[in-house]
Amino acid sequence: MTATYPPATPIWCAGCGHFGVQAVMLAAMRDLGIPAHEVMVLAGIGCSGTIQNNLGTYGYHALHGRVLPTATGVHLANPDLTVIATGGDGDGYAIGMGHLVHTFRRNPSFTYVIMNNGVYGLTKGQNSPTYQSEGAALDFDAVSLGLSISSTTFVARGFARWTDQLHRLTVAALEHARAGRGFAFLEVLSPCVTYNDTYPVWEATLDDLDARESYDPSSRAGAFSAVSELADEGRMAVGLIYRNGARANGELARPAAEDVRPDRHAAAYADLMATFRVRSGD
Amino acid sequence: MTVETQRKLADLNVMVAGQGGDGSLTVANLLGVVLGRRGFRMYTARDVASRIKGGHAAALMRGSIAPRGCMGDALDLLVAFDDEAVERGGPWLAEDGFVVFDASGGPAPREYLPEGATVFEIPFARLAVRDLRRDLFKNSLGFGVVSRILSVGDDEAADVLTQRFAHLRRQVADANLRALEAGFAYADENGLTAGSGPWALDSAPNSDRILISGNEAVAVGFLVAGGRFFTGYPITPASEILSFLERRLPAFGGVAIQAEDELAAVNMAIGAAMTGTRSMTATSGPGISLMQEGVSHLGSAEIPLVVVDCQRSGPSTGMPTKPEQSDINMLVHGGNGDFPRIVLSPSTPTDCFHLAAAASNLAQRIQGPVYLILDQAVSQDSVTVEPFDLGSVELAPGKRLDADDVAQLGEYRRYLVTDDGVSPWAVPGTPGGMNLVTGNERNEWGHVATGAANRVTMLDKRMRKIDLVRADLPLAHRWGDPEAEAGMIGIGLELGAMEEATERLAAAGVAISGLQPRTLWPVLDETIEFVRAHERVYVVEHNAEGQLVHLIASVGAPHERLRSVLKYDGVPFRPGELAGRILEAEGAAS
Repeated sequence: MTATYPPATPIWCAGCGHFGVQAVMLAAMRDLGIPAHEVMVLAGIGCSGTIQNNLGTYGYHALHGRVLPTATGVHLANPDLTVIATGGDGDGYAIGMGHLVHTFRRNPSFTYVIMNNGVYGLTKGQNSPTYQSEGAALDFDAVSLGLSISSTTFVARGFARWTDQLHRLTVAALEHARAGRGFAFLEVLSPCVTYNDTYPVWEATLDDLDARESYDPSSRAGAFSAVSELADEGRMAVGLIYRNGARANGELARPAAEDVRPDRHAAAYADLMATFRVRSGD
Repeated sequence: MTVETQRKLADLNVMVAGQGGDGSLTVANLLGVVLGRRGFRMYTARDVASRIKGGHAAALMRGSIAPRGCMGDALDLLVAFDDEAVERGGPWLAEDGFVVFDASGGPAPREYLPEGATVFEIPFARLAVRDLRRDLFKNSLGFGVVSRILSVGDDEAADVLTQRFAHLRRQVADANLRALEAGFAYADENGLTAGSGPWALDSAPNSDRILISGNEAVAVGFLVAGGRFFTGYPITPASEILSFLERRLPAFGGVAIQAEDELAAVNMAIGAAMTGTRSMTATSGPGISLMQEGVSHLGSAEIPLVVVDCQRSGPSTGMPTKPEQSDINMLVHGGNGDFPRIVLSPSTPTDCFHLAAAASNLAQRIQGPVYLILDQAVSQDSVTVEPFDLGSVELAPGKRLDADDVAQLGEYRRYLVTDDGVSPWAVPGTPGGMNLVTGNERNEWGHVATGAANRVTMLDKRMRKIDLVRADLPLAHRWGDPEAEAGMIGIGLELGAMEEATERLAAAGVAISGLQPRTLWPVLDETIEFVRAHERVYVVEHNAEGQLVHLIASVGAPHERLRSVLKYDGVPFRPGELAGRILEAEGAAS
């Protein structure tokens, strides 16, 4: 067995929500029996942007804010890989915000786990776009944003401390993307114990939609309604908020698997060249 | 001293101009067929306003028996559908040029035309609407007059028109023929009799040739060299690469995708490149500005990518449809930090094809960024060239590891320090090859490492990769008299004007030796040697700062020999104009 890189020890503070995320990601890959070499974990910049070093899969550290286009490129070039994009709220909701909208719109089949803690931990605690001075509900709510885009197929939110649910949501997200059903968006409320300890306020005000017997995650209108009503009450929804099983990608090209030797395509290349010919007859 | 302007009908310069939608291109295309049948080569350019639709549009066309890479000094023939066309084309018209003017709105504004010009004023649009009930037929009418001026037989003109409109409904095709005949009738009334016009076209043996733009040639070269992933964001003058590959890549199992901005474009391409797929992105200066972080990341993280810059007039939004060469500094020196990069500089479409293929191979070999630098004229002007030698393209795979290779190793380190600087690479999906790719400084395993010794080792390793490929970097194209005292250096759109100016200068008794560097960075020794071998070297470039001349001087070429020849008005050099600039300077030098 060839030795490859030793997984790193997490750099996170004791009590950081990201530990829970890492644990369920590893558990979900194990549950689904995905070999490490078929997984590529891409990470943004920030505390969360080190998770790829700890897992033993293929890992990539993206430029700040660019994890989604990069993951889109990996997926489109080799759809056989299980692609997991990760990052924090500074990376995804500030510098990289524009890409999130377009990734929902394109609906490429990979998973995005975004760890939301309201602050820039790595640079010592500046506020992020999801920082709330009081209360739980976020002024900027990526779940509502995702629901508002008609091509969105999967929106979930978990809480780092509620690991059983987070585990289920992570498995569901990976299954959705691996089945070619599109972009699986999973926001994890993952408190920063050092700069913005939101464990108590979130624990007290989150509302678990999975626990509602009547909740139907296949209804976009129902999802919007539930999320909006909770927000009006200063609360936030967690759970499998929306999943549309109807959309699935068709057969995808596999550029990374193409045999590109020129002799293999000589005739087709010559045909292409002929389209530029100056026809002396006309 | 002045330079004689060469004007023969082995070399015909034409401008067809009017409001967008006038069908200027139709007349140009019909004339192109006539010339093509006689073995003429074409150089075609567009002069368009930077707006969605309409505005003034001109088709510029040069047909010549000799291969030419630019428009000639003066227009022989101006087909003008309105006053503005005369205003814009008039100053370029030769003293004895011909103007075919649509006089539906009144006589031609003579003040813009040389005194010796012959003007045919015909109410094309009015005749077309009156007799054929459609304004567009004025193009066929105009073509009838043009064919008489060039002594093209009426039967041939009708044949060309019939073939051209063969795909249209019968009534429309017939109406065009009637318009052509109306053009003949008008010509008869004005002394332009069939087969004996004032000019006659030369002819030469024909051969199998293609008419292609630099952008299209880059796309073909990328494809043939195994390129299968392309991403871009619409921008003039690069967009044709995106649209061509969107149409063509899927048939080869590839993907072309329009990104939401250039940040996404370069990062999508980075993602695809990491899977081992040969990838490329293309943009212009403003997009390159946005991609700078991505390009330096490619250099650090060691990811192979080809990035095309179709330069236009800057800075900022500048003049989007006009050529310039003012991104040289950005490509050679831009980005944060030190990293290895290569900049290749093609000129003709043939060169674009070969250098796109070379760029793809070099990117794989150095696992890093390779720029292709074009300019608006190289990108968008179409030129008649011999069909590309497809068989000449070979793939250099670089140091890749498959599962069996990995299994042979005791351990696998993505950033292994090697003598040549290249670390063998297992792409995602390879069993056993799991690795970490990062733009952070790191150790061989890919874990972040900021120790002083490691930093130097890793940076030196990356920079060494250029030495690995240096001997294989594309060499310059040369022309002229190698023994000449005076040399001339230029890239991209300058080549056609430089080669032709060299001929003119030789005829005027001034010998010139020419060099078109095809590798711009690293600057090759051949460029420095070239400067050393000549007393005076004119560096011809389209920018105001002399970016190319400064680059050459910065690597040790003797600066006292270098002379800047600059142009930054958005207009390519005419050969006589450039020859005049050199003659003037040579006069001062002697």
